Amino acid sequence: MAARRARRPGEAMFTALLLAVSLFLLWSAFGISAFESLSSPGAVPMATTFAMAVTAAIVLFKTARSPAAKGEKIGREVLPPPVAIFAVMLVAYAILLEPFGFLPTSALFLVVSIKLLSARSWTYAAAISLLSLTLIYVLFRIVFTVLMPPGIVPEGEILSAIRGLFSGGL
Amino acid sequence: MDAILAFLTVFTRPDLFALVALGTFAGVYVGAIPGLSVTMAVSILISFTFSWDVLPAIALMIGIYMGGVYGGSRTAILLNIPGAPSAIATALDGYPMARRGQAGEAIGITTVMSFIGGFVGIAVLAVAAPFVSDFALSFQPRDYMLLAVLGLLLVGSLAGESLVKGIFCGALGLMLGSVGMDPLTFTERFTFDLPLLQSGISFIAVMIGLFGVSEALSQLHDIDKAAVRQTIARIVPSWSTVRKHLPLSMQTSTLGVIIGALPGTGGDIAALMAYDHAKRVTRNPERPFGDGAIEGLVAPETANNAAVGGAFIPMMTLGIPGDAVTAIMIGALFIHGLNPGPMLMVEQPDMFWFIVGALVLANFCMLLFGLTGIKLFVKIVEMPRTVLVPLIMLLSIVGAYAVNNSITDVYWMLGFGVFGYFLKLYGYPLGPIILGVILSRLLDDNWRRAILSERGSLGDFFIGMVTSPLSLVLFLSVIFIFISQTPPWKRWRQRREALRAKSDPARPAAAKTSEEKI
Repeated sequence: MAARRARRPGEAMFTALLLAVSLFLLWSAFGISAFESLSSPGAVPMATTFAMAVTAAIVLFKTARSPAAKGEKIGREVLPPPVAIFAVMLVAYAILLEPFGFLPTSALFLVVSIKLLSARSWTYAAAISLLSLTLIYVLFRIVFTVLMPPGIVPEGEILSAIRGLFSGGL
Repeated sequence: MDAILAFLTVFTRPDLFALVALGTFAGVYVGAIPGLSVTMAVSILISFTFSWDVLPAIALMIGIYMGGVYGGSRTAILLNIPGAPSAIATALDGYPMARRGQAGEAIGITTVMSFIGGFVGIAVLAVAAPFVSDFALSFQPRDYMLLAVLGLLLVGSLAGESLVKGIFCGALGLMLGSVGMDPLTFTERFTFDLPLLQSGISFIAVMIGLFGVSEALSQLHDIDKAAVRQTIARIVPSWSTVRKHLPLSMQTSTLGVIIGALPGTGGDIAALMAYDHAKRVTRNPERPFGDGAIEGLVAPETANNAAVGGAFIPMMTLGIPGDAVTAIMIGALFIHGLNPGPMLMVEQPDMFWFIVGALVLANFCMLLFGLTGIKLFVKIVEMPRTVLVPLIMLLSIVGAYAVNNSITDVYWMLGFGVFGYFLKLYGYPLGPIILGVILSRLLDDNWRRAILSERGSLGDFFIGMVTSPLSLVLFLSVIFIFISQTPPWKRWRQRREALRAKSDPARPAAAKTSEEKI
């Protein structure tokens, strides 16, 4: 059915990449235990990567034959600026998460992303971010007791101080 | 007696009762908000509840599952944007009804029909699962292997745009599941001598990446689609309307349970097939299908909720997921030290009856929340995506981090998020990947057991397969799925459709419009 659909920008390249990775993985699966026996640890990996390589090759063949989609551009339909910007921001978030801690990194991420997407004022972005971050924090950190990287904010100490205050008061 | 007590646990323990109710409530909204899916919610939730006891964690997830499958219909009706894939068929007739000012009526009938469908599904689960489980004890390793292959092929052929892409994704999932140390021989597989790959790739990271981040990135494409307000009047449908559609709802519920119970196929496929079935059997709808026929709501909504109960059958009895959400549920059970499969039913029947009880409660909660709180609902659904998308991303990162407190999992998750975005963009289905990851171990172990028991002889393996009735049926099903996707078979089907169209001139037009819309 893939042949009926028009080829999107970058699709042939992506499929070729999938095929290349599949072939590499097939080679790697062959390295596990080669054709030692049908019950060897490499048997199923070889079968699965072989299936990947064959299907990727078929898809590539069909994709190459299908006509290119008219009016679609890689920078608009495939990887529009917001998607590219967000992919970079996510990586930045993940890198900063451990050194800076959950609260400051998330606040920064939310403010910047809401500002970028909504095109409203910084105050709006900051207010919404603060509200949602508080909700998330209360729900996940306090109710679900999920551990987050503390980073530069000593939130663990603050939390236990607040708990101490309440248990002392009761 | 024990079974009854286990069934009632969820009703007698206030904390569990509250969790199911809360889960269902949240599920209705998660399902309804376009951009949030049940699969996404359950996969993120696993990471947050893995330190809990098993019962509360399962209670919450069941609530979300049941509520979410229903919730998708809301936005399908109000905004013509299905909140979940299982609500695609609902939009076809729901939105035209809403445009005519019958949004309330559409929501009402949808809710009641989802409730009926949900019950049929649960009833079948309660009655059939113990038998299937007994039967499953006699399954040979090769039967499990065939079932896993069948599940992967089914989801691959029905969910995506082509079987070839579906097989690619299923195989990719199987490969991802086998990364790390082989549990039987401690041989390293796909580790490339990297220490971080030795313990394998966290399936939660794969899941959150594929269903959380990739979905959020896709949402960025149409970030500024404005929400449309609808007026909602009467919600609770009249008894006569319900009674009139009861026979159809029973047929489509049955269809839903069967499709749900097939490994790999879930509510989305059940809903589309039920819609098609309704079109075939309804001779004189009050309004034509696609223009606000109530039957067009009844069929998909009963079927997708019936599929929930159905999907639990292979999950509980065979350890093979019925759809992507149950695949994630199996992951949750693994994390809590349970091993779904026939032995679970023998060793811990209480767990099964607890799940049935939780499903029943969730179904009641769904009815209650479905028929009330519409005003609040409209407000929440109008939450701008400009806020929602960053929040999904944030939760995905936190969720991926929370499981092992490991930043590596976050990188895996982001990697799969971006990869999943491109896969989706180019028409690859993501469901088979996660099914493959979950089934990888089962397929690998059972293949090796099967071939070892035949002393490594492929010939004996095939003889064993064609001489056992069950294996033969499974094997033939696998072959049939392959053949049904080949060009000669498709040409034959087209010829048959054309012949039928000649003899019944009313049919082809209707069939064509549905295909175009889907």
